[in-house]
Amino acid sequence: MADDNAPVANHAPLLWALAFVVAMFGTGFGARFAGLDGIWTMIVMLPPMLLLIPLIRSTERSGNLAGCTSPALKRYNRRGLIWSFSYVAALFFAVSVNDWLKPEGPLLWLIAVLPALPIIYFVWALYRYLVEETDEYLKLRYAINALFGLGFLLIVGTVWGFLESFKVVPHVESWMVVPVWAIGLGVAQIWQRMRGA
Amino acid sequence: MKNRLKVLRAERDWSQGDLAERLEVSRQSVNAIETGKYDPSLPLAFRIADLFELRIEDIFLKD
Repeated sequence: MADDNAPVANHAPLLWALAFVVAMFGTGFGARFAGLDGIWTMIVMLPPMLLLIPLIRSTERSGNLAGCTSPALKRYNRRGLIWSFSYVAALFFAVSVNDWLKPEGPLLWLIAVLPALPIIYFVWALYRYLVEETDEYLKLRYAINALFGLGFLLIVGTVWGFLESFKVVPHVESWMVVPVWAIGLGVAQIWQRMRGA
Repeated sequence: MKNRLKVLRAERDWSQGDLAERLEVSRQSVNAIETGKYDPSLPLAFRIADLFELRIEDIFLKD
């Protein structure tokens, strides 16, 4: 019997994730440095978004190699691609319409809420994953990671909120909750991987 | 909780992947159960017992 307890070393997802983060932040800072605004920032941010495709594919390959994937997880990853690109498209559209039409009233409300719709889809996808996952260990592991992300978000949000109240730090928009939660989720996943769980 | 999964698997010359396939779970789950990092639910414990044609208490042992 082969000793198949040894974890399979595959750094490709980590490298793609690093490339994605560097490209996103690099492009963002570059756009700000170049004085780009509104729609142009959105346009230059599109190419780094494409790195999500190899990132998710390499994550799936890594999952197959490590034996920690499932049909539900694959569906969740596919839905992840859908909401990510929908989010960028909705944001692009909302910023463009706002820049050109300068809407007011109900239309402005509609335009402002539009980028939130893919995030609502993401919350649904998260719920669906936990419902559809039949592998109880993978489900538990994801639930723990998601709760770690939630705890991280609550701590960061509360500390930042009080710092903001005392005028120590600048205001941060509340749509930052999802990226902060995702950072917590990512940290938990890396921690789980490092301890071989 | 300790278990005899690795021994039972070795007796049948099954890899973790083979056992995972038979149980319809991920190999990661088999590894986690085998190494005592995760205690399976009662339904999964029954599936494991049925597969090896043993009683649950013959596979899973009290600490």
